[in-house]
Amino acid sequence: MHINPMRELFFDPLARIGLVMLAAIFLMAAFAPLLCANSPDDYTGQIFMRPSSGHLLGTDSMGQDIWSRLLYGARTSLAVAVAVAVLSASLSVFIGATSALMGGLYETFWMRVVDALTSIPTIIVMILVAAYLRPSLMLLILLLSAFFWPGGARIVRSQSLSLIERMHISAALTFGSGRRQILANHILPDLSPIVFAMMIQDARRAVFMEAGLAFLGVSDPTMISWGKMMHQALAFTYLDVWQWWLLPTGLALSLTLMGLSFIGFSLETAMNPRLKGNLLRREG
Amino acid sequence: MNREQNSRTSILNYIIALAVIFALNFILPRMMPGDPLHAIYGDEALVAMTPQMEASLIREFALDRSWTDQLLAYVINLLHCDLGFSYYYRTQVSSVIMGALPWTLLLTGLALIIATALGIILGIESGWQRGATLDRCLVAGLMFLSGFPDFFVGIILLLIFGVSLNMAPLSGAVTPYAGLKGLDYLLDALMHLILPLASLVAVQLGAVYLLTRNTIVTLLGESFILTARAKGCSDLCIKYSHAGRNCLLPVTTATGLRIPHLFTGALFIEIIFSYPGLGSLLNSALDARDYPLIQGILLIVTIAVLTANLLVDLLYKRLDPRVKYAH
Repeated sequence: MHINPMRELFFDPLARIGLVMLAAIFLMAAFAPLLCANSPDDYTGQIFMRPSSGHLLGTDSMGQDIWSRLLYGARTSLAVAVAVAVLSASLSVFIGATSALMGGLYETFWMRVVDALTSIPTIIVMILVAAYLRPSLMLLILLLSAFFWPGGARIVRSQSLSLIERMHISAALTFGSGRRQILANHILPDLSPIVFAMMIQDARRAVFMEAGLAFLGVSDPTMISWGKMMHQALAFTYLDVWQWWLLPTGLALSLTLMGLSFIGFSLETAMNPRLKGNLLRREG
Repeated sequence: MNREQNSRTSILNYIIALAVIFALNFILPRMMPGDPLHAIYGDEALVAMTPQMEASLIREFALDRSWTDQLLAYVINLLHCDLGFSYYYRTQVSSVIMGALPWTLLLTGLALIIATALGIILGIESGWQRGATLDRCLVAGLMFLSGFPDFFVGIILLLIFGVSLNMAPLSGAVTPYAGLKGLDYLLDALMHLILPLASLVAVQLGAVYLLTRNTIVTLLGESFILTARAKGCSDLCIKYSHAGRNCLLPVTTATGLRIPHLFTGALFIEIIFSYPGLGSLLNSALDARDYPLIQGILLIVTIAVLTANLLVDLLYKRLDPRVKYAH
């Protein structure tokens, strides 16, 4: 690869904005205990307090400190994002690449599974399962990964198929390397930009799904989630509390999603040379 | 793979997807520990239930017999369009859903048409003059907009126009007990529709726009554009008849793929604006743990999504003559 899309990220203004947004959220999540004085689950006694030095964003309808809940909510979102991205990308790479290499019945079987899984509307199954089973973070991560991997597997397979045709693979075969070596040394390294773009997209969808399901009221009741905070805050739009309850929470969620989509978009542009250089930058 | 085979496999995929949803609907409540009637109807419902009702329900679902009989009873009920009884609304689930469905279809249908048309026009205009101020503003603005999650766009519009400026009604689809007739009724419905519709369009617009713009950018380098220019076509003709027409293919496919997103987006938007469609219904069903209603709504949405996807699949093959001539 002559262009390294991952390195391009640091030179693209759009991706830089995205990276800064994500870094802010990461810092919030990492240093949550240092950044707030109150525990997110404590009841301070008074409800709907206005922002003050003790409560940076005031308190909610249960008297809990909104700022600390916002910080700890970042942890939930990022945990889901990272876990789903890693799990679903590993599945995609494994099944996509092995299908391309093995071919035959194995490939037909997995591509059939991929086709069937991609036609099922994810959010509906999620709601259905969450309504019956006790929703938990683990279940959410597993279910989201189960629905996200097929899209990636299809991309990895077609990309691997075109990589296999390349000269250096034939050279490696001539020198007697086995399937496993070709996969590990020649195909996987070339797949890495695409896999990275896939992970960014999966992370974005996972953050959205987690917040969306919590917004619908199907989530682990003990978990602190931005979606659930917005769901609770929406009932009180007739009071002034939305200014420091609903709005900051929504903005934090939007910041995370936007950061991820800017990076994803920039990666896509870097990998598709025909689109390159004409976005946000004047030509010539 | 030839065309017939292709459309046959896509139909097969949809059948598999539908079967998975049906199977989940059937298996999940029966997998729960304890009494399946409890799981099917929820604990809250059983409090209000008389022993006679319980006995008749057990008979209807064949819960006292083997699971093959249960499956048979389930399929027969579905074939009769009997989705069960909603204890929360105290009526048949199918009639509750039929009351909400038109509002959702109105909202999603209008949003789909407006977002696609607007997205294509903006995409063509901005791709045509890429790099210009208009293009750069549109790209940045719509990228920014599509970064927001669906429900937050709705919330912002609600807060600005509904809560702060007090310009639009906060909830519902028509003013209750106003007794409006004819044109007044239509205007009233429109006023209630405008904010949910605007949020849904705002959410959907970005994807269509970016796709059209990027397609136009790559198309403008093709030789048929040069030919059109050489034979003296006007800019308008090149933009819309030559480049625009070729954009329709990717846009149609993407529209089909976005339909599930459109429906789930509508669920969120309806909850925010308390618009009386399937989304609000699902919200109250989830709150009340009215399981038959939850299942019914999700089943209807699944069928709608899958049918729409299938139609787009079939339409796509009609739209692209190259697919036909190739065989």
